[in-house]
Amino acid sequence: MTQQVAGADSASVEPPSTETAPARPFLLGELTMPLVFTAFATYLLVGLLSMSVPDSVDFPGPRFFPATVVGVVYGLVVLDVLVILRRRRAAGSAHEKQAGKAPSGSTAVGAADTTAPGDDAAPRFSWRSFAWVVGGFLVFALLLEFLGWIIGAALLFWCVARGFGAARPLLTLVVGLTVSSLAYIAFDMALGLSLPSGILGGGF
Amino acid sequence: MDTLSLLMEGFAGALTFQNIFWVVLGCFLGTAVGVMPGLGSSMAVALLLPVTFALDPTAAFIMFSGVYFGGLFGDSTMGILMNTPGQASAIASTFEGHKMAQNGRAPQALATAAIGAFIGGFVASVVVVFFAPFLAEFSTKFGPAEYFALALFAFVATSSVVTDSAVKGLLSLAFGLGIAVVGIDSVTGIPRFTMDSPYLFDGISLVTVTVAVLALGEVVYFATVARFKSQGEMLKSKGRPWLSRAELREAAPAWLRGTAIGLPFGVIPAGGAEIPTFLAFGAERKLDRRRPDPQFGKGAIRGLAAPEAAGNATTGMAMGALLALGLPVSATAAIMLAAFRQYGLQPGPLLFERAPDLVWALLASFFIAMIVLLVINLPFAMVWAKLLLIPQPYLYAGITVFCGLGIYATSGSTFDLLMLLGVGLVGFLMRMHDYPLAPLIIGMVLGPLAETSLRDALISADGDPAVLFTGPIVLVLYGVLLLVLLLTLRSKVTSRTRRDV
Repeated sequence: MTQQVAGADSASVEPPSTETAPARPFLLGELTMPLVFTAFATYLLVGLLSMSVPDSVDFPGPRFFPATVVGVVYGLVVLDVLVILRRRRAAGSAHEKQAGKAPSGSTAVGAADTTAPGDDAAPRFSWRSFAWVVGGFLVFALLLEFLGWIIGAALLFWCVARGFGAARPLLTLVVGLTVSSLAYIAFDMALGLSLPSGILGGGF
Repeated sequence: MDTLSLLMEGFAGALTFQNIFWVVLGCFLGTAVGVMPGLGSSMAVALLLPVTFALDPTAAFIMFSGVYFGGLFGDSTMGILMNTPGQASAIASTFEGHKMAQNGRAPQALATAAIGAFIGGFVASVVVVFFAPFLAEFSTKFGPAEYFALALFAFVATSSVVTDSAVKGLLSLAFGLGIAVVGIDSVTGIPRFTMDSPYLFDGISLVTVTVAVLALGEVVYFATVARFKSQGEMLKSKGRPWLSRAELREAAPAWLRGTAIGLPFGVIPAGGAEIPTFLAFGAERKLDRRRPDPQFGKGAIRGLAAPEAAGNATTGMAMGALLALGLPVSATAAIMLAAFRQYGLQPGPLLFERAPDLVWALLASFFIAMIVLLVINLPFAMVWAKLLLIPQPYLYAGITVFCGLGIYATSGSTFDLLMLLGVGLVGFLMRMHDYPLAPLIIGMVLGPLAETSLRDALISADGDPAVLFTGPIVLVLYGVLLLVLLLTLRSKVTSRTRRDV
């Protein structure tokens, strides 16, 4: 199995010799979700401000509930960030005490401790798998109507299987085509859902 | 006796060839996803949701309930054999169950789990049959203020009681609420947060979000992170797959106690079967310590029997609460509520009047599902364990294809596929950073109910917020909520102070 350990984002690859730099996830990585939530709340806020509501609408109008949600999200994000920062500080000081003595005995909760070689507890992140799965789905979504279900879904199957480290590409392709064809027969023909036939169906 | 005759009619409806087929299919699917670590019944129901629109509602719900119960039968198998619980509701069963397997009592452990799940589910189904109509009648007294209190109860309980971090749970919940407000406002008809895009006028489809968060996000998470984690080794299960009379006598009280603990939790919106399984486990452990010869830690059959029974008892009651009140207590139940809505049915008191044949056929199918599940689980648990032989790449690739299939088949647009991917990525990030996903689903399902009932209540009282706190039902609900919160706080504090056991 190929283990493309991510170097960039989630696991830090600082040299183990440096005393003061404990291996732990980058701040940005941990702040991803607060950032996403903030972005979403801001989208709602912009929508709230640009919404035109006639004066005749009674008090808890269409803006009341979303405004509450936005306020709650902003408040919780602040709390969440505070919790993350406090935990990092605690983990950091725990690390400094231990640094140099026992690098493998990390006490940081959930920290990516890649300094200890072969440490099972260290979460790895495979960007390669990420690219195969997400990229595969993106291509599938964009090309589905052109390629048709059978080819499109087989392609998606193949990409995801690659992302999971499937070794034999040709066999995977055959399995993928079988799965997509069976799904087409079962759901389009038997159950009457509509799946695109795409280029295969063009001439018929 | 009215109930019994209705139930008999339900059996007549459920015992058609077609419906038996769906219940058996649901049971098989449910057990399969329950057995496989990483898959759960909520993922299975989410994936099935889009494709079942081609079926008639009765068939679809019969299958869903088979999946829901089946997940709880199957989840303990891998917990016992490999020490990796199939889903969260099996964690409590894993402690003693795996120890039993290590001591060479794997088949007995599997049998204990299956019988426990059967007893819990069966008793719950009986209770639901006699209790749900009363509950439905009671809920006709509910007005907007009561429904708002109920929704608020569900929000707080699912997001802060069940989860480790209340902040993360509440954020997830608020995110779900936020997604639900996109689209045309149901009260005034004003489009909200749509950026004038016609794709968003109907809002972001709940089906898309559930499939994205529970299935696609999970696939990405598994591909990039989880599959590198080492897995336990599977123990072989050899020997008699039944229980001796002594073992039965040992386990029987635990099954019954577990059932009793599990039942009330089906009506409390606190996130499903997780809490009652742990409570049942804890109760058995306390009782065990008083015995002259404590068994816990050495593979106590009671430590496995009680949580299994509790889990299924909760699930059975949860189905009752869903039907009678329209109140989902877990992510799976929330998705099923969404399915009801897609068919234009609103669970609650009116459902018992408007679609009695569906309700009673569904209730009757619970019993059929229990028996089917006992038959396919008790002797064949090792056969189910063979499911692990499916190569992971193919399994997850198949799941991904199924996500795409369901979403494209219901919406027919590329936009929804891209939305699926986008929300799926958010779900993946939440999964990676330990944000619970169930509150998101609950928030999205109950958000509109909370908003409309809040507004109805306030508008009818000319904006006076006091209306939200008047009436005995409302006050009782808030009182219980407060009590639950205080109890959680206490247990969190005590578990922090003595962390050992």
